Amino acid sequence: MNSTVVSYLSQSNEFQNIHAWLSKALGFDASSLMAFVIFAIVALIIVGVMATIGGAGTYAERKISADLQARVGPNRVGPFGLLQFLADGVKMILKEDIITTNADKFVFNLAPVMCLVGVFATLAVVPYSSGFILADLNVGIFYLVGMASLVGVGVFLGGYASNSKWSLLGGMRGASQIISYEIPATITIISIVLLAGGLSMKTLIGAQGGGMQDWFILHNPFAFIGFFVYFISALAETNRAPFDLPEAESELVSGYHTEYTGMKFGLFALAEYIEVFVVCGVAVALFLGGYNVPFDLGTGALFSKSLGLDSMLSQNIGQLLQLGAFFTKTLALYYVVIWVRWTLPRLRVDQLMTLCWKYLTPIAIFNLLGCAVWMYAFDGKSIFALIMAATAGGGAHH
Amino acid sequence: MISLGAYLGISFILFICGIMVMIARKNIIAILLGIELILNASALNFAAYTKFVNGNLEGHIMALFIIITAAAESAVGLGIVIRFFQLRESIHIDDASTLQN
Amino acid sequence: MFANTLFLLSAVLTLAGAVLVVYSQNLMHACIYLLASLFGVAGLYACIGADFLAATQLVVYAGGVIILMLFAIMLTGGTGNRTNKYGLEKIPAMGNKKTFMIAAFAAIVSALIVIKVTIPVFQNNKNLIVAANAPTVERIGTLLATDHILAFEISSVMLLGALIGAAVISRPRKEIHD
Repeated sequence: MNSTVVSYLSQSNEFQNIHAWLSKALGFDASSLMAFVIFAIVALIIVGVMATIGGAGTYAERKISADLQARVGPNRVGPFGLLQFLADGVKMILKEDIITTNADKFVFNLAPVMCLVGVFATLAVVPYSSGFILADLNVGIFYLVGMASLVGVGVFLGGYASNSKWSLLGGMRGASQIISYEIPATITIISIVLLAGGLSMKTLIGAQGGGMQDWFILHNPFAFIGFFVYFISALAETNRAPFDLPEAESELVSGYHTEYTGMKFGLFALAEYIEVFVVCGVAVALFLGGYNVPFDLGTGALFSKSLGLDSMLSQNIGQLLQLGAFFTKTLALYYVVIWVRWTLPRLRVDQLMTLCWKYLTPIAIFNLLGCAVWMYAFDGKSIFALIMAATAGGGAHH
Repeated sequence: MISLGAYLGISFILFICGIMVMIARKNIIAILLGIELILNASALNFAAYTKFVNGNLEGHIMALFIIITAAAESAVGLGIVIRFFQLRESIHIDDASTLQN
Repeated sequence: MFANTLFLLSAVLTLAGAVLVVYSQNLMHACIYLLASLFGVAGLYACIGADFLAATQLVVYAGGVIILMLFAIMLTGGTGNRTNKYGLEKIPAMGNKKTFMIAAFAAIVSALIVIKVTIPVFQNNKNLIVAANAPTVERIGTLLATDHILAFEISSVMLLGALIGAAVISRPRKEIHD
């Protein structure tokens, strides 16, 4: 029923051979055992890759900010300072783990873990390619929204447990900001769900195409506005500048993680960078065509037909192309996020709430209604399809 | 292992815990926590009956409405708690003993 | 086997969370245990194939209700008087032995009633048909838009009323100290 990475791999001959051999050796049907082992391995791979991306995010942030400010940035550790994030990680692990005297120790230790769990649980449904997705739940995007809201609880508890006024203010700001901006983000997601007709990631991406004209961002004007609403809300939800009020250095020292040291601070930072990747991935999946490759190269049918390759091999090549497409788009958005951070000044709290409740939420509701009307009026056709039909009809008329 | 009895047992224990929280605590927010537990117990029962008795999803719809009601209830309840705190500077339930100021 | 493992984990999480909500003397901790318990309930929903229900549970409780509760705890952190208006000492906010005894008595009474009601279920559940797990999103959507449209609309109006009502009730007024 739900397609996963296991159902993709089970098409290959090797999988069948290993399955037959294991079943014979163990004396029972080994399919669920193999599914478990493959899930464990792939989950480990994804967690490893994502931790690396989170670490590399700090490096990219420093390099790009240096670039924007005409500095050099980290350049001592390794070639071009590439190993800087490893050095930072080692430093964080070796640092002393301080818990302030009046802190609520249970909550203090729980908060960073809660942030990290919330972010890593969302990775299960992020669609890297049509085969390489841990679980294509049929409530995929809804599950993602629910799990991501755990980060807000983590931020809030981190602020509360530190028992310091900077942390408390940062935690209150963070939680109110996250639950406020969840509303326009979720309503925009619902309007895209309306266009695609399903909650699972495969349905959402399958309704789009490889070419730009088939993406949902260019499907109709409302979805075009919706992309920007979602992107701004996602920036605010991940506490990135210009919405980084919860961790504003100049006014709150560093907000909810003022009292955190060592690896617990590292977990907060890691969760933030991975969450930025996840929201960029969701934006790509919802609006920018996801893993779709132009000309249907992703299925690999063309390779096996024109080059005469083995069907599994050509499918694997297609998967690699899809992975490339997804990561290229996502990392491009990641760059934009960092770019925005080092370009725009920080908002005030009242401006932040005004932006959410007086502008983004009404616009998001308007977009939802607009998408519904568009689906009803034009039978779900995109604006390009309508223009093509009109010009073709005009040509026939002459 | 996954059976109707197990689900009814779990929801039973949730319900009892909710009752105990509601009666033992004197803090209004803690009482709201107990109400959440009780509502969850009933929603779990509805979902379990859908799975094990008839497969027609009416129980899921009912559980959804319970969740919606719980959300509305906690929003209004916490609003009342905050207003009450502004008036009395306390959220002890024994302080809520008059109808008018 | 994996379904059983998931069921066991969720059940333990649910029950441990619920018991700790009763046991904990710290309101903030009780709130976190409640979150754990609600996550366990979401896992229990997932075990019986109620995928949409599980996701709704996550979205509504983790994202909404628990954060609201935490906010309310933070906004009402004052101490208040230890004595009531007759000068008698009040029962502590998180209960004492006496209230817990009464609570245990009430729990036993309601347990007896519930067991009395549910005994027939355990006695004749031999011929139950267990429905296979199937995706529920589409069917729930269809049911909500056809058979249960009135309840759906009423609940949306109720949510709007709750939204406005909560905002109106809790907004600070000029004459706070009467």
